[in-house]
Amino acid sequence: MPSATPFVVRNVAVLGAGVMGAQIAAQLANADVQPILFELPAREGDPSANVRKAIEGLKKLDPSPISSGARADFIRAANYDQHLELLRECDVVIEAISERMDWKKALYEKVAPHLAEHAIFASNTSGLSINELSRAMPESLRHRFCGVHFFNPPRYMHLVELIPCQATEPAILDRLETFLVTNLGKGVIRAKDTPNFIANRVGVFSMLATMHHCKEFGLGFDLVDALTGPLIGRPKSATFRTADVVGLDTLDHVVKTMADTLPNDPWYRFYASPDWLKGLIETGALGQKTKRGIYQKVGKEIQVLDLQQKNYRPSAGEADDKVKEILKNRNVAERFAALRSNADPQAQFLWACYRDVFHYCAVHLAEIADNARDVDLAIRWGFGWNQGPFEIWQAAGWQTVAGWIAEDIAAGKTMVKAALPGWVTESGRAGVHAPQGSFAPATKNYAARSNLPVYKRQPFPDGLLGESRSYGQTVFETDAVRLWHMGDEVAVLSFKSKMHTIGDDVLEGTQRAIEEAERGFRGLVIWQTEPPFSVGANLQRAQDRMKSNEKPSALGSMLKKFKKEAQSVVLKAARQLNVADALMAGKLAQVEEVVVAFQQTTQALKYAMVPTVAAVDGMAFGGGCEFIMHSARAVATLESYIGLVEVGVGLLPAAGGCKEFALRAARETRGGNHLALIQSAFQTIAMAQVGKSAEQAKELGYLRPCDRIVMNRFELLHVAKAEAIALAEAGYRPPLKAADIPVVGRTGIGHLQMILANMKEGSFISDHDHFIASRVARVLCGGDVEPGSLVDEDWLLELERQTFMELIATEKTQARIEHMLKTGKPLRN
Amino acid sequence: MTRQVQDAYIVAATRSPVGKAPRGVFKTVRPDDLLAHVLKAVLRQAPGLDPAAVEDVIVGCAMPEAEQGMNVARIGLLLAGLPDSVPGMTINRFCSSGVQAVALAADRIRLGEAEVMIAAGAESMSLIPMGGNKMALNPEVFARNENVAIAYGMGITAEKVAAQWKVSREAQDQFAVESHRRALAATQAGEFGNEITPYTVSEHYPDLATHEVKTRDKQVAVDEGPRPGTTMEGLAKLKPAFAAKGSVTAGNSSQMSDGAGAVLVVSEAALKRFNLTPMGRFLGYAVAGVPPEIMGIGPIKAIPKVLQQVGLRPDDLDWIELNEAFAAQSLAVINDLKLDPAKVNPLGGAIALGHPLGATGAVRTATLMHGLKRRNKKYGMVTMCIGTGMGAAGVFEAL
Repeated sequence: MPSATPFVVRNVAVLGAGVMGAQIAAQLANADVQPILFELPAREGDPSANVRKAIEGLKKLDPSPISSGARADFIRAANYDQHLELLRECDVVIEAISERMDWKKALYEKVAPHLAEHAIFASNTSGLSINELSRAMPESLRHRFCGVHFFNPPRYMHLVELIPCQATEPAILDRLETFLVTNLGKGVIRAKDTPNFIANRVGVFSMLATMHHCKEFGLGFDLVDALTGPLIGRPKSATFRTADVVGLDTLDHVVKTMADTLPNDPWYRFYASPDWLKGLIETGALGQKTKRGIYQKVGKEIQVLDLQQKNYRPSAGEADDKVKEILKNRNVAERFAALRSNADPQAQFLWACYRDVFHYCAVHLAEIADNARDVDLAIRWGFGWNQGPFEIWQAAGWQTVAGWIAEDIAAGKTMVKAALPGWVTESGRAGVHAPQGSFAPATKNYAARSNLPVYKRQPFPDGLLGESRSYGQTVFETDAVRLWHMGDEVAVLSFKSKMHTIGDDVLEGTQRAIEEAERGFRGLVIWQTEPPFSVGANLQRAQDRMKSNEKPSALGSMLKKFKKEAQSVVLKAARQLNVADALMAGKLAQVEEVVVAFQQTTQALKYAMVPTVAAVDGMAFGGGCEFIMHSARAVATLESYIGLVEVGVGLLPAAGGCKEFALRAARETRGGNHLALIQSAFQTIAMAQVGKSAEQAKELGYLRPCDRIVMNRFELLHVAKAEAIALAEAGYRPPLKAADIPVVGRTGIGHLQMILANMKEGSFISDHDHFIASRVARVLCGGDVEPGSLVDEDWLLELERQTFMELIATEKTQARIEHMLKTGKPLRN
Repeated sequence: MTRQVQDAYIVAATRSPVGKAPRGVFKTVRPDDLLAHVLKAVLRQAPGLDPAAVEDVIVGCAMPEAEQGMNVARIGLLLAGLPDSVPGMTINRFCSSGVQAVALAADRIRLGEAEVMIAAGAESMSLIPMGGNKMALNPEVFARNENVAIAYGMGITAEKVAAQWKVSREAQDQFAVESHRRALAATQAGEFGNEITPYTVSEHYPDLATHEVKTRDKQVAVDEGPRPGTTMEGLAKLKPAFAAKGSVTAGNSSQMSDGAGAVLVVSEAALKRFNLTPMGRFLGYAVAGVPPEIMGIGPIKAIPKVLQQVGLRPDDLDWIELNEAFAAQSLAVINDLKLDPAKVNPLGGAIALGHPLGATGAVRTATLMHGLKRRNKKYGMVTMCIGTGMGAAGVFEAL
């Protein structure tokens, strides 16, 4: 018998179809949780028109809050006049209306009589006191009330802060946390009922501090964004661009909350929006949503507000080379010492920003959070920093930095004179994170991670600096891969290459891993210790121009960049394969050998005697995608971006990607239109389409219906191993090798040629595009044979290989490869 | 000059309204139902006629498969309640199929081998897409460059015509605006009233709340295509649909449509025997081939050919129904043959009224016969370009 009553969540109501409410409903739908979205009734016409409009609006947002277009249609539209009875069917109710205490109170009174007896009622407020809100609830309901603070955009931002009121029953929080973590894939931080909770309290202060020092050092907004973005491990939107994305009015509101509620805070006088920001708001320039804010786009030009010129000017900020050089130093202690001692205003500015945030966090830790881990994870997950403030401080040398801060306080350089708390400078303190846990001021001890059962599903949670981590026991390890296990029956293969690209050494390692798994394990999982899964065939070990520290950011244009980056990697792969050299020397045979090895490896994955499970998170392009397609199962996080992108560099998938599409089309036809399925596969490959979620990857055919989607990437390995065991328990056998694969042959080629002829004639594609696509067509159709001809996998693989060699031998494909290597951009020739 | 033994008379002509495809009023309506509807309607217009006297029903259809496959002519006429002694045949010459059916029917009479014929056309582009459900072009088409144009979509050929005949984007858009203007004016003035037989769409749908199959009926009496508020500015915003830097857009091309039309053709003896009043006389018909890549200019070859056949000069024509496959090819034809723009499509054309492929010839024959009569004109023509490079033109005389 299970030890605790399971918490069953069938339906979740979201009250309020604004920006957050609608997008929370979208994430519920993404997660197969039935959302019922409520909004005020429309004054005329369809009473649910308001909420329907909000649901339609979800389909137009970029980045998309829905994992595929159809997801939005699962959201049930409701209004408070007609549908309050539906609340009775809801196990969780999330309130996400405007931040007005009077409106919220009125709503709570209205809905309270309709709530189910067991329902959890939670407010997504970002600024109001949870305890005060709880008083608007009937007393009998308060033990089921809490705050649940999502971050915008909720699909992409990992953080959810969970805030109890005084009456909240602990079991309620545990249930909700379990649901949020596994079902919605979120990272939950328990916060206290202090203004703006943890992430916004620290994150918004950091923005205010940055604005303050920006003025002090007389730096332009664009320059500050150049300094406070990826260069220091933060999102590309950095400071001011983030403000535009969040909305200047929203930011102002959050700042005002701090001003209203924290009169005794030492930093109180800084809790005010700068006058220029208020001025922008007054003129209706609210940022991205009004297309004008601190930045604006005029034609193709990005312009930034210049306070001296009192107007917009072209955005051009670039950090000094000297400062860039400092920031490149991998030794954090040296980096900070250099920043502090360098007279360059940009270096001084950065030090000042760090210093005051460290200062602020140290002074406020006890008040706002249980422990330092919660602050660091909240900032990482809610603001997209690579590391939280305490981690950075600790990496830079805790006591040294503490000493510098104290000196700066004494010298009057810090924003306020508040002294550092005593625990900061205790003797022997080397930081706040240690193997046993993170510093908790209340107990003056180190708090271990939560022991809630849901976290047993996370063998490797998001790690913090200072925590110990060990990835099991090694079976074997090479320069390219490591095969390991955690004392159970499943072997785990992880790549060591940068961006987990696949070179001949990874191929060799994978083949060996399959043999080892067959010898001593019940299954093999391919899992990487961090995303991406793999950006494809091979990589350049010496130098990788791709920024591996850039995480898929909701705010950035990462998705759009994926394809380009992937193409660039494929090209680099080609170089790694010494393609150019081989071609020069007429050694095409060498290239062909690698293609053969690739094909042998993917086939080995498919026909291994133990189940092979690809555990996918983040990007999986080209050869990485082909690994997935050949695994017995894929388990992918929702935020997996999967695609065969080879045509962008003048090649085609040749590690079985085309073969699998042809095979799947033949199997799925079942008396239907075989050619239509081939046409769809052709479009996917010839247009290098990338699924922008695992759901879309299923729609495109990269993932199969049997492949699983998990919401929380930290549970990925757990689920993948469970899947491998389940397959093994079912008496796993690899598929029999088919020799009866029908192909569409000449008729299919003719049909696809027709599409291409029109695209070429309409100048939508170049001659070489046409050439490449016609070769993709030939492979997918099984070659110039009669329609209905039966072939085997080897036939298709050989076609792939021959065609790959034909393409790589063309001057134009070589020019594409060369251009990508030189410029990082695709060449249309 | 034709060598005929007797004249062929049009005694009735009607059509359904034309709906937009694939999401218009007839999106769920089967083309064989539309066909049966116009067959019944055209017989109703000749009350004295014994349906058993119909010697054949010839139906044009451009994509004769699936819902309009299996010899849709025979199926449609049986659904229409004609006696099973009446035969039927489906013919296909793409966009001219409907007028081709009229010509074939008339020829049976002119040859003296039939006395009463029905010619018709039916097409649902909502249910059967252009090119059919399964396109499977012969790969040999691509083996030699000379045949590759067989593969070209119609839009590409329109671009080529626009380039070769120097038809600007602006001229095309202007033509499209005028087509909509004329069609709306004609609809408002009730000019299509006599030719259209309204169709009642009866849709069966699941009521998920009650778990019952429910029916909703909607009578459709006017064409769905004409769009009020079509302006040069609006059209100028549309992107080229077929070529990256082209001039042909969705706005200056014909609309995809659903519809059907039918024409009753009889001999003089039948006129007397069944006491029928002729609307007009079929005079002649010609088709001609042109290069597939500029298929839109087909009428430039077909029109002079048929005029020579029937002994008329271009000026003799009072009314020309020129199918507006594209504004680009329509203007090329008008300019090349120096046709009077006022006489071409006085009630608007396919850009506004729609183009249900194989039905269009029959639909526009109905428009022409009623129009000539209503406006007291004498000679009229139905002409169009045809995919893979052909043109067709039929000439009629009002009585």
